[in-house]
Amino acid sequence: MTTTRVADLIGLVCRLALGGVLLAAGLLKVGDPVGSIQSVVAYRLFDYRIAEMIGLMLPVVEIAVGLLLVLGLFTRWTALIGAVLMLAFIAGIASAWARGLAIDCGCFGTGGPVDPSETAYLSEILRDAGLFAAGAWLVVRPRSLVALDTLVFRRPAADPAAATSPHTPTTASKGAP
Amino acid sequence: MPRPPAHVPPPPKSGPSPALIGAVVAVVVAIIAVVVYLAVRPDPVDTGDAGSPTVGAGASSPSALPNAGGIRVGDAGEDVPDVHVFVDFQCPWCGLLEQVSGPAITEAALDGDIQLTYTLMSFLDGNLGNDSSLRAANAAMCADDQGAFVDYHAAVFAGQPAEEGTGWTDEQLIGFAEASGVEDIESFTGCLQDGTHNDYVKDMQTRSNQEGVSGSPRVFINGDELGNDEMNTLMNDPNSFPAILEAATQG
Repeated sequence: MTTTRVADLIGLVCRLALGGVLLAAGLLKVGDPVGSIQSVVAYRLFDYRIAEMIGLMLPVVEIAVGLLLVLGLFTRWTALIGAVLMLAFIAGIASAWARGLAIDCGCFGTGGPVDPSETAYLSEILRDAGLFAAGAWLVVRPRSLVALDTLVFRRPAADPAAATSPHTPTTASKGAP
Repeated sequence: MPRPPAHVPPPPKSGPSPALIGAVVAVVVAIIAVVVYLAVRPDPVDTGDAGSPTVGAGASSPSALPNAGGIRVGDAGEDVPDVHVFVDFQCPWCGLLEQVSGPAITEAALDGDIQLTYTLMSFLDGNLGNDSSLRAANAAMCADDQGAFVDYHAAVFAGQPAEEGTGWTDEQLIGFAEASGVEDIESFTGCLQDGTHNDYVKDMQTRSNQEGVSGSPRVFINGDELGNDEMNTLMNDPNSFPAILEAATQG
C-alpha cells in the first residue's frame, strides 16, 4: 500500500466520520422541531427568534453537508463547512460549561437541561474536536477513496500525466502546491 | 507551421464547471432550509402584558390566562408572591415534584397565600415520539372547563406510566376525569377527542421557549427561577415549600 493510498484511506475515514455524525445529528433533530428549538434556547446565547431560526435550519444544513461528505461530493467545501460547524459547537458547549449551565449539548436531539451530575461537556468537546480534525484534514487534502468527486470532476488528461511524468504539463501546474 | 499537439492544453470539458454545480447545490440547500423554517416555525405568541387582548390563543378554558400565559389556580391577587410552575405531563421529575410538593403548592394557592400559575409544556412529545403531553394538557384544560383542573392535574401525574414514553390512552385520560370529579364525562370526552385546547397548549410551549424556559420542571417565584438545590428539596421534602417560598420572597 502506497503512502498516497493510505492517505486516501484516511480521507475516506474522515469523510465517513464527519459526514456520518452530521447526517445522524440532522436526521434525529429534523423530525422534532420543538425539541430542536428548545435545545438551542437552553444555551441561553441567542434571542428567541434567532434560536428558533438555528433550531429549524441547522438540521437541514447538517443533513445536506453530511450527505455530501458521505458521498464524497464537493469534499473540500463541505468539509470546510463541517469543520466550521464543529468550531461553533465547541464554542457553544464551552460557553455553557463556563457559565455553569447544566444542559445536554442537544447535538442529537435530546437537548435541554440535565442534572448537573449528568453533564458531559468534556467528552462532547473532545468528540467535536476530533470531528473538527477530520474536517481540517479534508480541507487540506480532499482526495479520498470511493468519492464521487473523482468520478464526477476528474480532470481529463491531467491525472495520467501527473502520475507518469514529473515534468507535468502546463495544465497540471495550476493544481500543484 | 502548427506546433506539435503535445503542448496544447486539453479542450475545455463540456457541461457546467464544478464551481457552478457547487453553487447551485448550496443555493438549493439554503432554499430548503428557509422553506422548512417558514413551514415548521411555531406561530409566535404575543408575550405582552396580561392585559393585552388574546392573540391567536385559540379556545381556552376558564382559568387560562390570555396569550398562553398559563393556567391559574385560585385567585389570590397581586399582593401575594407569584409562583409559576412549568411542567410537562410526561416528565418523570415533574411527576416527582407534583407527588411530593404539589399538594403544598396547590394548598397555598387555594388558601390565597400565593398566586399560582401552571404552564403545561409539551416538548417531550417530539422527544418520546408520541402525542401524550399535548393530549394530557388538552385534557387538563377540558377538566378546567368543568372546574376540575387542580384534581385532574394531580391525577395525571399520579397516573404517570412506569416507563417514560408509554403515554396514556384516551380511556386512561377519561378515567382520570372520572376520578377527579369531572361531572359531564360526555362533553369532556368530546373536548378530549376534538383537541379543543390544542392550539392553546402549543402556544404555551412556544411561549415557554420565548421566555427562555428550556425544560421542565421549572419553578419561578416572583419571576426568579429556583436553583437546583431548592428544586431537589422540593422533590424530597413535602413540607419544604413554605420555607423555600419565604426564602425566595425575602429581600
